[in-house]
Amino acid sequence: MGLREYIIRRLLLLIPILIGVVILIFAVLQIIPPEQRAVIYIRNPRQMQNIEEIIQRHGLRKSAIEQFFDWLKEVLQGNFGYSVYYQEPVLKGLLARFPATVEIVIYSAPLIILFGIWLGTISAVNRDKLPDHLSRILAILGTSLPSFFFGIILIAIFVAQLKWTTIGRVTNIGLLLKRIKAGDFTSYTGLLTIDALLNGDLPLFVDALKHLALPILVMIFIQSATIIRVMRSSMLESLSKTYIVAARAKGLSRKEVIYKHARRNALIPVVTISGLLVGGMLTGLVITETVFNFPGVGNYAATAAQHFDVAVVIAYAMFTAIIFVLANLIVDILYAYIDPRIRLG
Amino acid sequence: MEKETLMEIKNLYINFYTYDGIVKALDGVHLKIKKGEVLGLVGETGCGKSVTSLSSLAMVISPGVIENGKIEFNIGDKTLDILNLRESDLLKIRGRFISMIFQEPRAALNPVYTVGDQISEVYFKHRKEDLIKSALAELEEEIKEASGFKRFILRYEISQYRKMLTNPKSLTLRFCLKMPILKRFQNRMKRIARKEMIELLKILRVPDPARVVDMYPHELSGGMAQRVVIAMALVCRPLLLIADEPTTNLDVTVQAQILQQVKELKKQFGSSILYVTHDLGVVAEICDRVAVMYGGNVVEVADVMELFKKPLHPYTQGLLESIPRPGKKFTSIPGTVPSLINPPPGCRFHDRCKYAMDICPKVKPALREVEREHLVACHLFYQER
Amino acid sequence: MKSTEKELTKGAFQVRLKELKFTLKKIRESPLSMAGLSLVILFLAIAALAPVLAPPKMYDPFMIPIPKQYVREPAPPSWENPFGTTTWQTDIYYGCIWGTIHAFRLGIFIVIPIVLIGVVIGLISGYYGGIIDEILMRITDIILAFPSLILIMALIVAFVTVELPITFTGIKRLDAAIIAIILVGWPGYARLVRSEVLRVKAEDYIEAAKASGSSDLRIIVKHIIPNTIYSLIIVASLDFGTIILTAAALSFLGLGAPLGYADWGQLIYTAMDWISRGFKYWWTYTFPGLFITLYALGWNLLGDAFRDILDPLYRRR
Repeated sequence: MGLREYIIRRLLLLIPILIGVVILIFAVLQIIPPEQRAVIYIRNPRQMQNIEEIIQRHGLRKSAIEQFFDWLKEVLQGNFGYSVYYQEPVLKGLLARFPATVEIVIYSAPLIILFGIWLGTISAVNRDKLPDHLSRILAILGTSLPSFFFGIILIAIFVAQLKWTTIGRVTNIGLLLKRIKAGDFTSYTGLLTIDALLNGDLPLFVDALKHLALPILVMIFIQSATIIRVMRSSMLESLSKTYIVAARAKGLSRKEVIYKHARRNALIPVVTISGLLVGGMLTGLVITETVFNFPGVGNYAATAAQHFDVAVVIAYAMFTAIIFVLANLIVDILYAYIDPRIRLG
Repeated sequence: MEKETLMEIKNLYINFYTYDGIVKALDGVHLKIKKGEVLGLVGETGCGKSVTSLSSLAMVISPGVIENGKIEFNIGDKTLDILNLRESDLLKIRGRFISMIFQEPRAALNPVYTVGDQISEVYFKHRKEDLIKSALAELEEEIKEASGFKRFILRYEISQYRKMLTNPKSLTLRFCLKMPILKRFQNRMKRIARKEMIELLKILRVPDPARVVDMYPHELSGGMAQRVVIAMALVCRPLLLIADEPTTNLDVTVQAQILQQVKELKKQFGSSILYVTHDLGVVAEICDRVAVMYGGNVVEVADVMELFKKPLHPYTQGLLESIPRPGKKFTSIPGTVPSLINPPPGCRFHDRCKYAMDICPKVKPALREVEREHLVACHLFYQER
Repeated sequence: MKSTEKELTKGAFQVRLKELKFTLKKIRESPLSMAGLSLVILFLAIAALAPVLAPPKMYDPFMIPIPKQYVREPAPPSWENPFGTTTWQTDIYYGCIWGTIHAFRLGIFIVIPIVLIGVVIGLISGYYGGIIDEILMRITDIILAFPSLILIMALIVAFVTVELPITFTGIKRLDAAIIAIILVGWPGYARLVRSEVLRVKAEDYIEAAKASGSSDLRIIVKHIIPNTIYSLIIVASLDFGTIILTAAALSFLGLGAPLGYADWGQLIYTAMDWISRGFKYWWTYTFPGLFITLYALGWNLLGDAFRDILDPLYRRR
């Protein structure tokens, strides 16, 4: 019963937060003067000619409350406005670039978690010895080295000097687009690596992977620092508990005690932290995609922000907030599930 | 070593290296446990009794270091030097010939595994052969009446179990242990272990053991958890059971129940018990002999009746005096437990002792037998000097 | 009864003094924390000596001087330009030196308001509880529901396009960035202070103070604040480093300091044009990048050292 109650309570908490998120976005919108704000409602380029009409129609000079429900209606219909910089509807732009971002996330997220857990465990088990010092240096560098600087160095080495790969998603994007148009290449998933395999195109698969390698490396370097830290400290705490002494007194070997008993408990706080990891990745993507000119949603939003393209930035903020909140919800439920103390109340 | 001695700790010195200084926790501890007896180890908090008990498993909590000493343990006709055993040999002793139960039972259980999981760990670690043999016995019976497909499966199980006995490192065996369906043959062993566990819990008077086995530690009451921990310690019918204040954190009624069970267990299983406690009442209940510790030393050892009737060491006398009794004025031993970073020189009790003599701060008294089966470490009794 | 309170706090104060001395000794003993301290002191020295190390030539000392020659290509380090130049001959050395003052300035202008707002809100929320607590915590939850950089970006865009009442212009980009970071940063501190307040509130000497009739404000100031300081110090020093990384990232994305400003992130933004040539123009990104990294590293090491040192388990080891 404990779990069901917990989930229901968590879901109930979700609603006021989502409402609050929407309200906050709207409040930020209100700061922007009506002329620029009008893009939020525009669906096609023709409407751009007559901004005043949009302002009148949606009451952009009237009271905030009236505007709020009107805006909400538009959003729920899928109208996130028109991007002045990219000259296309925002939703279309986001969806088009979504798969590229997903591709980075799919490869980096598991690597970050596994690497972080592994290094954190080794660090705790060998406290204050060489592996511990090395991993702590790595963790400290991860939080001191700016991700874009790391990315730039990687580009200087691997792209410019060694010419191992190029910036962007694929070496020859023009050629790929032509092939898609000619029906020679089908996009099944939108993920280049998988699609290349499905199309039997091994060189393209390798090419796509090489272009993903550096952005993924940057993501791992920056994000794993938190996981390493949390895993290390929770492992240290776990190892100091009485049940560890009891387990050793049962005749279990050091390895069994560490990996079977201590780590299982230590992983629980790490699950909690994964929610924050999602937030960190959402932020990290913006920078990493920009550095490598990778055509994902992060790059989309960053360039738009640079040019003060209101519609894109607002829509991106809303999306990432909702994703972040949902991710935290999933993480909280997962945490309640794997900790029997909460699951069984 | 005498035939009736089970374990003997000789001259044990353990130091803890902390930032505040070196804590000289054990200062030459001598302790002898006989076969089949319950030896009480009494002392205040910080006197070193828990450290002593843990060291019999060659375990010491960091930042402690065993500086000197010898621990001898008798198994059958062999004598083992516990502190110099290889790690792999120690693992065969712990949980099997010597087990331990702890003060806070729910803390001694891992919260993310069920009771059954944790008890069966001991079975699979130390009594796997028994389980395999029982499984094979079962299989021989079942296969007599089986035919066709069922017979085929049973044959497979028999061959795997036999291999486990004869060639545990075999490649095919290891493969089968990893493959999803193939590894199911182990369920038989698990089932047998589970049945034995439940029997054991029944003996310990755990209500509804079949349900308890699937519960998680936090779902158990203090008393039940302690019974589970005791069960875990008794799986292999150990020669020595170390009980580190197992009833201190329990309700008085539950404490009484557990003590009663401990007494019965001694009769039923024949194990020796090292019962560590600070409660003299408990000692009077169940111990055969008692050792009193103070400041990292054993200061007196005697039969329990003898100790209560005729305590020799001034500290023991003070302890017995300070037991509150209706009508008696409340007394306590003057002074406080010494810091073990800078312990008092000579006898560590001399600054609180009303009989202190000139020699006490200078020379540490050795533990000597001054009457039959009654040992003391006090200069008062070394008149021959 | 007032004397009990006095005795308890005097005792607590003496313990705290001893702890402080112990802490300082531990800092001296740990190589990593000494490294962090040295880095921070080094940067402080650079900031203090900036007018000497790199005499300003423009009206606004934070605008990097551009020589009259209009050559776009960066020039390598030389006697005149110790770190070389970037696009349009902007002197990197000048940018890095004055960027140090700029970094400290950002730190102070951002961390202090964040700490103040966070402490006040956290105190009120934690001490008074009830519906005030609920409302304030919901607000912090909502702000924390956004990945921080992204909300900051949205706020900057809004602040720059806004039409302020009198001047009808927007807020300057750098100021907008500072305000945005503050608005997004205080919830973290509020939460931290609130949980510390809740922890301290449950301690016995608070009961004693209340029983002896101390007013709420007195209790807060005399008892609660001193005991929550340790965590604040740790987080604040870590944040000096984090804030710079955030500000540099914003400049890198073109949302922070304006072009030609003495801001490390801004220098790297300018260097982006040249990284396609690999190591050829290494000085355009290496020097600013090193400054950012070492600055953040210094504060991170210091904050980490504080955290380790104040961890009770570690102290007794």
